[in-house]
Amino acid sequence: MSEAKIGKEFPVRKIPAFDAIEEAVARSVEMGRPVHMTFGFGTISSAMAPQFIAGLGVLSHVARLCGRYGAKLIATLGVPEAIATTEEIVREGYYSSSRPELYDPTYNVRYLTDQQFAYASAVQATLIRERVGANIVVGPFYAESLIFMEAGNMVNAFQIAGTARETQIPFFVLVADYSFIGEEIFAAGALASGDKETLASIRGQDIGKVLSIVLIVLGVLLLFGGYKLVDALNWVWKVG
Amino acid sequence: MSIVVRRHIPQLIVTTIVILTVAFYYLYINKNIAESFTTADKALSDWAVIITSFALIVGGTDILRFHLVRLKREGLKQAPFSAVTIGLLMVMVLFALYGWFLSYVDPKAGITITTQPQFRWLYLNVYAPADAAMYSILVFYIASASYRAFRVRNPMALLLLVTALIVIFGNTTVGGLIWPGFLPLRDWIMTVPNTAAFRPITIGAGLGTIILGLRLLMWREVSWMGRRE
Repeated sequence: MSEAKIGKEFPVRKIPAFDAIEEAVARSVEMGRPVHMTFGFGTISSAMAPQFIAGLGVLSHVARLCGRYGAKLIATLGVPEAIATTEEIVREGYYSSSRPELYDPTYNVRYLTDQQFAYASAVQATLIRERVGANIVVGPFYAESLIFMEAGNMVNAFQIAGTARETQIPFFVLVADYSFIGEEIFAAGALASGDKETLASIRGQDIGKVLSIVLIVLGVLLLFGGYKLVDALNWVWKVG
Repeated sequence: MSIVVRRHIPQLIVTTIVILTVAFYYLYINKNIAESFTTADKALSDWAVIITSFALIVGGTDILRFHLVRLKREGLKQAPFSAVTIGLLMVMVLFALYGWFLSYVDPKAGITITTQPQFRWLYLNVYAPADAAMYSILVFYIASASYRAFRVRNPMALLLLVTALIVIFGNTTVGGLIWPGFLPLRDWIMTVPNTAAFRPITIGAGLGTIILGLRLLMWREVSWMGRRE
C-alpha cells in the first residue's frame, strides 16, 4: 500500500462475479424489476463481522449502480444493529448518482427479523412477491443460503452470491450465475472503491497466500524428513 | 454534518476497538495485566450485546413502520401479510411485558418474560413449528438444486455426479448393502480431496479477513460507511 502511495500500480485480476453486478443491475432495469441484496444471518457484532463488512462494501457498489441506472434496490437484513448503516449506504448510493428521488427508506431497506428461518422465509417472500430481476447475496451465510438461491431461481433472477463460509460455498457455486469464492468477497470491497492504495492491499493478500503455500510445502518436506514443526511451535507456546 | 462527524469519528471508534481487541487477545505482559485484559475484553463483548439489545427495539419499530406504510400504500393486497405480522408482533410484546411486570411484582411466582404462559405457548406452538417447517423446506431445495447440478453436460459434471453418488451411497445403509466399498471410498473423498479443496479457501478467507482489518485500521476501507470521499 505504501508503494501504491508513491505511484506504483499493481495489476488486479478480474473477478467475474464483481463484473457481473453491473450486468445484473442493467438487466433488472431492462426487465422493470427491482434488484435485491441481502447479507446473511451472521451478525456484525460477532466473528462474522468481516464478512458482513465485505457485504456492505458490495452493497455500496450495488447502490451506486442502481442510482446510475435508475434501478429500484431492496436491501433486506436480519441484523438490527446494521439498519442505520444499510440505510446510509443505500441513501448515499442514490444521492451520489444524483438520483435522490429514487431513495425511499421504507421500500429500499427492510429489516425483517433476527430469527434465522423467519428471516429466510421473509427474504424468500420478498424475492417472489417483488419478482426481483437480480438477487445479490454477499456476506456470512448459514443454512438459509440455499433457500435464498432457490427462491431467486423460481423468479428467474440473475443471481450473484458470495461468502467466505466454506460450508455454504458449494450451494452458491451450484445455484448462482456468478459466485465470489472465499476471500474474493473481501477483494470486492477494494475493487468497488477503485482506490489504488486499497487495491494494492489485494497484492498483500496474494503475498500472504504465496507465503502460506511455501510454509505448507516446507511443513510437508520437514515431515518427510522426520521433523515435526508442531513440536517446536508447542515449545514456543509453552514458553509464551 | 461535517466530515469529522460523518467519517472520522466512526473510523476512530472502529480503529480503537480493533486495536484494543487485538491487544486484549494477543498481548501477554504478566498475569495481573492478562486478567485485567480479560475483564476489559468481556466488557467490550457485553457492550456489543447491550447495543444489539437496544438495536432490537429499533428493529421492532422499523418492522412496524414498514408494515404500516405498506398497508397504507397497498391496502387489501398487502393486508393479510402485514396484519398478521403487526398483530403477532404486538401480542408477543404485550405478553413479554406482562411477564416482565410479573417478575417484579411477584418474584416468588418465578414468572419471567420467557416463562410467561401465553408467551411460552405462542413460542412453542406457533413460532417453533413454523421455524422447523422452514428448515425442513431446505431438504426439497437441496433435491432440486442437486438435480440441476448433477445433469451430465460435460466430463467435469460427470465427475461431480459420480463423486456425489459415492458420498450418497456411503452415507446410507443401502449403499453398504449394494457394495461395502462405498463407506471407505466416501471416507477417503471426505478426508483427502474434500479437505484439500476446503483448506485453501479457509486460508484465503483468513488472509482476506486480516487484509480487511488492516484496511479498516488504515482508514482505507470506507465503503461500509457508504461514502468514498
